[in-house]
Amino acid sequence: MTAAPQTTPRTVIETRGLTKRFQGLVSVNNVSFQIAEGETLGVIGPNGAGKTTLVNMISGTLTPSEGQVVFEGQVINDVPAFRRAHLGIARTFQVMKPFHGMTVLENVAVGALFGRGAERSMAAAKEKAREWLEFTGLGRRIDANAEALGGPDRKRLEFAKALSMQPRLLLLDEVMAGLNPVEVDEVVDLIKKIRSQGMALLVIEHVVKAIRSLSDRVMVLHHGEKIADGDPTRVLEDPRVIEAYLGKRRT
Amino acid sequence: MKRLILPLAVLVALALAFLPMVGSDTMVQFGINALLLATLAQSWNILGGFGGYVSFGNSVFYGLGTYGTAIAMTNYNLPFGVGLVIGVILAMIGAALVGLPILRLRGPYFAIATLGLNGAMMAIFSNLPIAGSNIGLVLPLARNDAMFYELALGLLVVCTLTVLWISRSRYGMGLIAIREDEDAAGVMGVNATLWKVSALVLASIFTAVAGGIHAYWSTFVDPASAFDSTLNVRMVIMCVFGGPGTVFGPVIGSFVLSAVYEVLAAQISTAAALLFGFVIVLAVVFMPRGLADVVKGGRAISWRYFIRNIRENRL
Ligand SMILES: Nc1ncnc2c1ncn2[C@@H]1O[C@H](COP(=O)(O)OP(=O)(O)OP(=O)(O)O)[C@@H](O)[C@H]1O
Ligand SMILES: [Mg+2]
Repeated sequence: MTAAPQTTPRTVIETRGLTKRFQGLVSVNNVSFQIAEGETLGVIGPNGAGKTTLVNMISGTLTPSEGQVVFEGQVINDVPAFRRAHLGIARTFQVMKPFHGMTVLENVAVGALFGRGAERSMAAAKEKAREWLEFTGLGRRIDANAEALGGPDRKRLEFAKALSMQPRLLLLDEVMAGLNPVEVDEVVDLIKKIRSQGMALLVIEHVVKAIRSLSDRVMVLHHGEKIADGDPTRVLEDPRVIEAYLGKRRT
Repeated sequence: MKRLILPLAVLVALALAFLPMVGSDTMVQFGINALLLATLAQSWNILGGFGGYVSFGNSVFYGLGTYGTAIAMTNYNLPFGVGLVIGVILAMIGAALVGLPILRLRGPYFAIATLGLNGAMMAIFSNLPIAGSNIGLVLPLARNDAMFYELALGLLVVCTLTVLWISRSRYGMGLIAIREDEDAAGVMGVNATLWKVSALVLASIFTAVAGGIHAYWSTFVDPASAFDSTLNVRMVIMCVFGGPGTVFGPVIGSFVLSAVYEVLAAQISTAAALLFGFVIVLAVVFMPRGLADVVKGGRAISWRYFIRNIRENRL
């Protein structure tokens, strides 16, 4: 591994010219960005813009075709997903992936057992899991089987699982999709609470109001390319963004 | 219900330990076979039931256990215990060597890759002079069924205790996470390759000891009986019938199926295999998640449970 050029110490995650091709299709094209400690980057873009693919490359689910993923100054392209989890990268899945044969509590305990905190004892892991479930509002479903949860509760479970890993970087892929406005506000409050603990956050969301209130910066992807990155208000009023994103979604 | 299972299991194990003192010779012999089969099903359960990886290669570890024991005892005059250790070491090495490349394959591809292992081993051992080539080896006669019975029972107890530990440990949580969603498990920090390979190695230990005990008991080993893929099929059937991924399901499943087979074979020897197959098809249709799932339902169990299973499986 060649020595990574020094990045500013406060940068948690950085991508350099990240590209992913599937056969002919380029779903992420030369995307570079950074997120600093305690910072929240909102990511928006129309369906198929490459948002999930970007998250997949950062979490290690997919390997990039080109470019680099740099975590806390270290190039991690060749680091397998489970080791990235140990380093402190956690994510949620847009297509939720609860562990069916387990209770809600056990699902979250997996994060405490295997994540950055790597708790060795089951009892301690379950205690931590219980706290995160209370935090995400799932406290009353602790002993339910994961498959018994409805849509919104499944979203909360995904969230609690990622949080229990004690990440430094949290990638949230549409955790608010399918929630009603009241539930969206609840999740926004939760995210604001964890952000105050110094975590770097990447939030993919279609709910523009939530993105506006959460993000320190907003990045816009379109056909796999980054077309804007900056102050939320300015980006969301950019005519190119409105045409590419909002125009297409006819909102 | 749940609180009763553990003390009940201890009582059953204690009661079984006294069988050689009161039972007939045929009963003890039936017991040895049933206990060894239960151990095989229980060890298959470790990777198959908890990790969700269906292996048809576990019978290879059984074969390595039989040959390790047989070669040590006949060619080198080593005691039985040393033979068992050699068999276990061979099986563990085999499991690691086989596991590392093919456990990278997912789901059905893994199962298919394990299918060829028995044939390959049979070919190798048929041409090994030290293993008696295709004639096999004859072990010294022990004539002590009670001892073999107690050994088989002890092995099953240790194997089941191991599975009990797995079901309550961090290790087991990792295996179940892999079974339910390997990508999600990896992203949450589970080293799937290490977990799967170690599960196969762990399974190979108990499987090999069972093979070694059987070799000494039957005093004869040859390639066809050592590397018998139908033995692997029986492990899968017994485990799945009882309840994969549970602690006592595979044991109960094997006992029930061994008894059913024994009764069928005694009554109508020729059609026994056919009827046995029929019983298994019915079991899979009516209780696809095994006996343990039926028992878990407790009192609520009724014909509705079976009807629902049929509906869910679109039969
Ligand atoms: N594994 C894959 N194989 C082939 N093509 C893929 C794969 N994953 C994603 N794609 C394609 O890459 C493009 C980007 O997909 P991606 O899921 O990243 O979009 P997205 O921005 O997350 O969209 P959405 O808002 O619908 O979630 C799409 O055209 C998709 O079909
Ligand atoms: Mg997406």
